Amino acid sequence: MIDANNASRLIDICAATILVTAFLIVSSRSLMFYVRLFALQSLLLGIVALLVVVGYGESHILIAAVLTILVKGIAIPLVLNRIIKKIEVQKEIAPSINIPLSLLICGALVVVASSVAEPILTAQHQTTQTVSKVLPSSIAMMLIGLFIMMTRKKGVTQIIGLLTMENGLFLAGLSITYGMPLIVEVGIFFDIMVAAMILGVFVFRINQTFETINIDELRSLRH
Amino acid sequence: MNLAIFLLLIGFPLGASIACIFIGKRWLFQTTTIAGALFTAATAGYLTVQVFCKTSVSAQGGFFYADALSAFVIMIVAVSALVVAIYSVGYLDRQVADGKIDPKLLRLYFILLNLFLFTMLLVLVSNNLGIMWIGIEATTLATAFLVAFYDRESSLEAAWKYVIICSVGITLALFGIILTYYSALSVVHTTANALNWTALMSVAPKLDPSILKLAFVFILIGFGTKVGLAPMHTWKPDAYAEAPAPVTALMAAGLVNVALYALIRFTILVNKAVGTSFAPTLLMIFGLFSMGVALPFILVQKDVKRLLAYSSIEHVGIIAFALGLGTPLGYLGALLHMVNNAIVKLVMFLAVGNIRLAFNSKIIRRITGAIKVVPATATLFIVGMFAMTGWPPFGMFVSELTVATAGFSSGNVVPTILFLGIVAVVFVGFMWYVSEMVFGEPPATARAGEPSIVSIVVLSGLLLISIVLGTVMPGSLVDFFYKIVTVLKG
Amino acid sequence: MNDTLSIVLSAAFQICVVLLAAPFITGVIKKTKARMQNRKGAGLLQPYSDLVKLLKKEVILSSSASWIFRVTPYIVFTSMLVIALLIPTLAVPVPLHWIGDIITIVYLLALGRFFVALAGLDVASAFGGIGSSREMSISSIVEPAMMLAIVASAVTAGSTDLSVIVASLVTSPVTLVHPAHMLAFVGLFIVMLAETGRIPVDNPETHLELTMIHEAMILEYSGRYLAFIEWASQMKLFLFLALLSNMFFPVGIAASLQPGALIIGAAALIAKVVVLAVAVAVIESTNAKLRLFRVPELLMVAFILSLLALILYFIIGG
Repeated sequence: MIDANNASRLIDICAATILVTAFLIVSSRSLMFYVRLFALQSLLLGIVALLVVVGYGESHILIAAVLTILVKGIAIPLVLNRIIKKIEVQKEIAPSINIPLSLLICGALVVVASSVAEPILTAQHQTTQTVSKVLPSSIAMMLIGLFIMMTRKKGVTQIIGLLTMENGLFLAGLSITYGMPLIVEVGIFFDIMVAAMILGVFVFRINQTFETINIDELRSLRH
Repeated sequence: MNLAIFLLLIGFPLGASIACIFIGKRWLFQTTTIAGALFTAATAGYLTVQVFCKTSVSAQGGFFYADALSAFVIMIVAVSALVVAIYSVGYLDRQVADGKIDPKLLRLYFILLNLFLFTMLLVLVSNNLGIMWIGIEATTLATAFLVAFYDRESSLEAAWKYVIICSVGITLALFGIILTYYSALSVVHTTANALNWTALMSVAPKLDPSILKLAFVFILIGFGTKVGLAPMHTWKPDAYAEAPAPVTALMAAGLVNVALYALIRFTILVNKAVGTSFAPTLLMIFGLFSMGVALPFILVQKDVKRLLAYSSIEHVGIIAFALGLGTPLGYLGALLHMVNNAIVKLVMFLAVGNIRLAFNSKIIRRITGAIKVVPATATLFIVGMFAMTGWPPFGMFVSELTVATAGFSSGNVVPTILFLGIVAVVFVGFMWYVSEMVFGEPPATARAGEPSIVSIVVLSGLLLISIVLGTVMPGSLVDFFYKIVTVLKG
Repeated sequence: MNDTLSIVLSAAFQICVVLLAAPFITGVIKKTKARMQNRKGAGLLQPYSDLVKLLKKEVILSSSASWIFRVTPYIVFTSMLVIALLIPTLAVPVPLHWIGDIITIVYLLALGRFFVALAGLDVASAFGGIGSSREMSISSIVEPAMMLAIVASAVTAGSTDLSVIVASLVTSPVTLVHPAHMLAFVGLFIVMLAETGRIPVDNPETHLELTMIHEAMILEYSGRYLAFIEWASQMKLFLFLALLSNMFFPVGIAASLQPGALIIGAAALIAKVVVLAVAVAVIESTNAKLRLFRVPELLMVAFILSLLALILYFIIGG
């Protein structure tokens, strides 16, 4: 079907696009756009996993790939959309670091990620060699997800930041180890899903008690 | 046979949790919870005896595993859970009677409490690092709604911070685990084994040191978030302050030790693979930093539960410091401190729970003259305070002394002096609070009379155990600790 | 002799194609936008008529206009012609590639922009000043993005000479689907929208003070001056699209200077540029113009994408 070389090329393209979606999340202010970008990101991630299954014959990731597409690519975005509509917040307010500067910092984070990835890649063993080129992009995604969470204030954006981090992590796992044993992957998946749902409930309830999901204004607890 | 023990150990709390979903009557799900906790504790005791005889117990092809370290933490968690379960019944009944909690939510509380215990035990019995991770993340999820239980603005805020910060930390820890798995793949032959702690320990010297060091940094930051080491501690004061008292007690006594357990397992592995100059140094730095960060906040607190939370941060700092000394004596000090900290935190948080019921507040300024309102609890509170700040004859004195001795004997003189200095200042700070809260005139709104005699009995029992640990340790107990230290040495 | 003759002839042919095709492309864009707005729109050849009309009209100069004002249209026009000779449009061997490379192109564009900005200030009208300052602030981010985007592709080919770049792309088409290359395309596309003054950066058809950038600078021009400036803008658009299509989809480009190959090259070029022009028109019709202080955000995205392209190239390797 698809041989390792073509699969590797396609994986490179998908991974680059996934990284671009992370940047676009940083560059935008619209919550709905975030959710769409996240959906695209997760779908591409699922496709990468499928490519690993098909191109490298690692069939134990199949379930994780399907789960990623169904849950992170479709279900969670739908839920987030519902939440956004219900809380009637459309735009992120101006982030603490303005957007052009944020984008530059994220560019720097990509460079940081490649230097973090280097010692890992030099110690690799033969079998995963061709997929591991994606590792720096995945670490960069984790860092960008962390950055989003630290500089944005709306609750929904922070959830997206967390989920972006998790996506980056999954991609990292795929790139150096072809994913972990099935039970572990499914368990991790389940955990993340429940976390996202719990956070979604909180966003909802905070909005109801607070009239705002601006984390900056959650200051009643000091010290 | 072994498999049965493990399955029962995690099965009792899980079963109790599921049962509570279907039970409608209050007394019935309360009893189910207590029964579940009791059976869990019994199974834990049996497991401990088994481990004591055989050094380690494993089942299901290495999927479940328990050695002295696991048994130690399992006992702490199981006993703490039992105490908390018993206390919860009375405490929540009073809160419902006072109109603070919606009675319909009561069942949810017990479902989640049992689930919480199940997730903690899952971490403690699994050999697989991935399952361990899943368990730890699951504890965050199980306690999320417990922290937000009162459904106030501040509770939701605290729960939000808690879930977000811990999830971020846990994600970083997962990256560390992936890296560990990666380094193991080239050395261990079956991929299923590459995440098993026992398998990893046996090939530890062959693992790539640079990858493992990087992995440890991520894991320290990740699991350290869950433990509450600074600077990842910011969720702790809020979460501890907002959660119901029994939940906080279980988090401070159980969850902290579970997270420490995970951290310790990795420390042992990394020590064996890269030598003892890397991981212990990092641990010492984070430990001292946590102690230092906690200190000023302890001195200027307004809320008694936040005060205790910062004390918890200080104590895990001490434990990390002790682990960071890298010597067997240091390990012993860390272990003693883990169990003493658990006991004392249980006493303090549950005593605070009683005080809160009487005074209807947790702000220190509003709690005065406790000795006149709830004399037994107040006495326990004072005594507990002495225990917590390291007075003899309580166990914490012994553990802190051990840590200090280990520090000086291993040549880390300056850090140890810092350690002693912080402990001394904290002691003074706490004395001031205690005298404020216990003596003086009570406000008019306070309700005299102990809320719960059972709690007094239980808490007194706990303090007695602390005294035992501080004075006369039976020989078998000493042996047991030495077994654990052996595990820690790798 | 034959060589020089063929070079000169092909250069002349290339310039003619660019000169004549540019207004057509503008017509395509306008027609597509009109269709998308459900109107019939002017004919495809309308821009030609406009240019002819302007050439015949009288020039009116402001009393404060100096020689800069009069010289600018010619400078802009000529620089476009020179760029036309530097970009591989019909054939891979660019006729005058020894004059300069990418850097030269960037400088020529800057030259044109500089003079137009000066001309806008020269007439002492408020609109001119607004236009010039806005244009300059936008260009300060556009230029690095443009450089990075082209450099990302240059690094792949190992030279900043455009003909060498395109030649290497023709010979090893696998580079075309390299993620770095694709990212560079997106970056350069956004830069193109900014450089040629298209929505969402600038509206080429507005004369509202709030929204003008390019139009503001040339507001005072009339007659043949305006004709040259308009023509130069159209050529800039055409050349950018030609650059995009040949650097990223070098299909049908002539490998030698044979007349037959050149004609095929011309046809292929027009076809590709029309496709891109339609794409530009669709983007213009479906987006709103950005508020001025948001433009740096968009351009920073282009910059970052180009930077990413460069980083990814080094990470992923050839």
